[in-house]
Amino acid sequence: MRFMMNKQESNSMNNKQNELFARFPELSMSEIHGNTLYLESNASSYHTICKDLNGQLAFPLVSMFASDDRERTGSFTIHTVFANRQSGILISVALPVDPSTSAFPSLCELIPAAALYEREIHDLFGLRPMGHPNPKRLVFHGNWPKNQYPLRKEFPVNQRPDFADEKIEFTRIDGEGVYEIPVGPVHAGIIEPGHFRFSLAGEPILNLEAQLYFVHKGIEKLIEGKTIEQGFYFSERISGDETFTNSLAYCQAIEKIAGLQVPVRASFTRVLFAELERITSHLGDLAGICQDVAYGFASYQFKMLRGWCYRIADELCGMRFLRSVNTPGGIRKDFIQGKEETLTKLLAELKKELTETEAIVMHNSLFVDRIENTGILKHKIAVDLNATGPGGRASGVDFDVRKAFPYEAYASLTFEVPVQSDGDVSSRMKVKLAECFQSISLMQQVLEQIPQGIVREEIGILEPYRSAYSLTESPRGENIHYIMTGENNTILRYKVRTPSFCSWPALCHAVSGNIVPDFPLINKSFNLSYAGNDL
Amino acid sequence: MFQVIKKIIQYPRVTQDYPAKPFDTSLTSGKPVIHSEKCTACGECVTRCPSGAIVENVDTNTLEINDNACIFCVLCSEVCPHGAIEITGEFELAQMTYEELGTQLKKKIEKRFGRSLQIREVDSGSCNGCDYEINALNNPFNDIERFGIHFVASPRHADMLLVTGTATRNMELALLKTYEAAPNPKLVAAVGACACSGGIFQDSYAAKNGIDTVLPVDVYIPGCPPRPQAILYGILKAIDRL
Repeated sequence: MRFMMNKQESNSMNNKQNELFARFPELSMSEIHGNTLYLESNASSYHTICKDLNGQLAFPLVSMFASDDRERTGSFTIHTVFANRQSGILISVALPVDPSTSAFPSLCELIPAAALYEREIHDLFGLRPMGHPNPKRLVFHGNWPKNQYPLRKEFPVNQRPDFADEKIEFTRIDGEGVYEIPVGPVHAGIIEPGHFRFSLAGEPILNLEAQLYFVHKGIEKLIEGKTIEQGFYFSERISGDETFTNSLAYCQAIEKIAGLQVPVRASFTRVLFAELERITSHLGDLAGICQDVAYGFASYQFKMLRGWCYRIADELCGMRFLRSVNTPGGIRKDFIQGKEETLTKLLAELKKELTETEAIVMHNSLFVDRIENTGILKHKIAVDLNATGPGGRASGVDFDVRKAFPYEAYASLTFEVPVQSDGDVSSRMKVKLAECFQSISLMQQVLEQIPQGIVREEIGILEPYRSAYSLTESPRGENIHYIMTGENNTILRYKVRTPSFCSWPALCHAVSGNIVPDFPLINKSFNLSYAGNDL
Repeated sequence: MFQVIKKIIQYPRVTQDYPAKPFDTSLTSGKPVIHSEKCTACGECVTRCPSGAIVENVDTNTLEINDNACIFCVLCSEVCPHGAIEITGEFELAQMTYEELGTQLKKKIEKRFGRSLQIREVDSGSCNGCDYEINALNNPFNDIERFGIHFVASPRHADMLLVTGTATRNMELALLKTYEAAPNPKLVAAVGACACSGGIFQDSYAAKNGIDTVLPVDVYIPGCPPRPQAILYGILKAIDRL
C-alpha cells in the first residue's frame, strides 16, 4: 500500500522525471525506487543540479551525508537529498569523491542549511568541503586528534585515540559592553548536556552559539556490520522519547529494501503507537513551558495528563517508552486485541481533561502575556534551515510528513495539520495543543477502523548493496533515515537525520533579541533532542 | 480562578492512585530469567543478544544474563528454541510498593542526612530515556519530594549524583568536574544499562563502557530505561552504603 504507487502518484512521478530529464539531458537516471529518484552527478554537474533543484524548483535540502564506498567503487560518495513535498518524492544526488584529493565543492553559497551537514561530513569522513565559509569542527570537540576519521571503513569501531588538547574558538562578537555567558554542558535542570555561549549587550541576546555533540556515542559506526535484527535496537535508542518513530523509520527502510508490505493490522497499530508517542511528548513540552514561567498548576495538570499517557502505554505493551513493539515486517504481538474498550475509555477521559485544561491555561492573561512575542522564529529562517514539525508549523511552514509522504495507515485516516504564523512560544504551544487533539482523534479512528488479521511478516534475507530512504513525522518533525545493506544480511551504512539536527540552528536564531531568562522557555517550546542530534 | 479550584478539588491526590491501581502487567517487559532445566546452552540467544548481555559460564557450562548490560528488549525469549527464557513482570527487585519504598527511604534519609537528600542528575551520554524517567520522579504520580528527596541545580549542593549514559568522550571531563565539585561524603548511582556497562553502545570509539571507568560507583540501577520505582529502589540501596 505504502510504497506501491497509485496511479496519480506514478503520473506525477513520471512528470517529474521527464522534467528533470529535459533539464539535464546528460544525467543518467540510475534508479527509481518507490518514492525516491537516484541521480548520478560528477564534480562539474553537481553544483548546477543542486542549484536547479533547490533554487529553481524550490526543493528543500533535507539530508546530506557521505558513505565510504572505496571497496566497491574506489571512491567516497556524497549523497545530497532534496524533497519535492508537493508530489512526495525524494531526489538523492550522488557525487563521487576521489580519495586522493578528498575534497568536494561546498553548497553553502547556494543553500545555507548545507553548512552543518558539510562540517559533519568533514569530521566523520575527512572529506573537505571546498569553499565552506566556516569549516570548524562540529561533531568532535578539542579532545579528538586530527586526521582520525571514524566513519572510514579502516577505522576500527572500538579504537579510542588519545586525548588531544586543541581549543575550539566560539564566534566572538566585538563591541563596547558586549560580554559572554557560558552555560553548560551540565545544566540546572534534569536535561541533556549541551554548551550554550551567549553574547549580550545589556539584557538582550546578540548571538547564541550552541556547542552540541556532548552525547555523541557513534551510533552510525556501531551499527555498521551488525545484523538487521541487532541494528533495530540501535534505532530504538537514538532518542528516548522518539523511540517509536525512529524504530518505525528503520523498519520502513528495511521493508522497502525487502519489497515487503506490512499487514494492514500492523500498519494501523503503528499509527496508534506513533500518535501515542506524539501526544506523550507534546504534553511533556507543554508542562515544561508552564513550569519555566512558574505556572505550577498548569504544569502539574499537563504532567498528570502525560502520566495518563504512560498508563495507556503500560496497558498496551508494558513499555513506557514503546520499546520492543516494532519489528521489521510488522509489530511483535497483537497489542490491541481485547483492549479496545479500555483504550476508548482512557482516550475519552484524556480528551475531556485536556479540553478543560486548555480552556483554563490559554485564558490566563498573565501566562499568555509571557509567551506571546517571545522567541520569534521568522518564516524565512524556518524555511531556509528546514525547520519542520511544530517549530516550523508555528512559523507558517505548512508541511507534515504524514500528509506529504503518507506512510502506514495515515492515508486512510482523517486529520488536520495545525499551522500558525506568528512563530513565537505561544504559536508553538497552540500548535502542540492542537496536535494533541488530532492525535487523540487519530487513535480513536484506529480503534474504530482497525481490521482483523496477522500483524507480522517475515523479512527473510536481504540483497546486499540495496539502499532505501524512509521518512516519518516524529513528534519534533521530519525524520529521515537511510540504510544500505551489506553482505550476509548486515548493515553497511545507516544515516539518521532527526528533525533536531535542522532545528537547533533555528532555535539559535529564535532567541536573538530576547533576554537570557527567557531562553529556557524558548528552548522548552522547541524541546529539541540532544541525543537525536548528536547520535 | 473558580476553574482552577475546581480542578484542584477534582484531583486532590493523584499520587496515591499509582501503586493502588494495579496495571495489566502480563505484558510488562521486566527482567529475563533463564530456566536452567530447559536450557541446552545452544548459544542462540548469546549470538543474537544486541547488547551482549548473555554470557556463557565456562565452569558450569550454563548461560547467565548480566543485568547491568541487559537492555530489556525481550528478543532472547523470542529466539530461544526451547522456550527456556521467561520475561518476568519484575522490573528489577521491586517487590515493595512505591509507598513502602518511599517510607523506608524517608526514615533512612532522616537518620543519615538530617532531613533531606539532595541529588544532582548528570547525563553523560544517554538516549534521554533515563533522564525522562528521572524527571518522572517529580511528576504528581511519584512526587519524590514528599520523601525528602530534592533535585538541585548545582553539584555543590548535592549529596548524590544520579548519572545516566555511557560516559562519552566529549562528556568525560564535564562528568569528572561535576563529581569533584560535589562535597564529601557523596554517593554515585549509575542509572540504566548504558551507565552500568555501556549497554548497547559498548565498545564505541566515542564512549567508554559505563561510568565506573571514570568515577567510583556506589550502586548500579539496571534497566533500559529503569522505571521510576527501580530508580527509587536504587537510591535506597545507595544510602545503605554510607
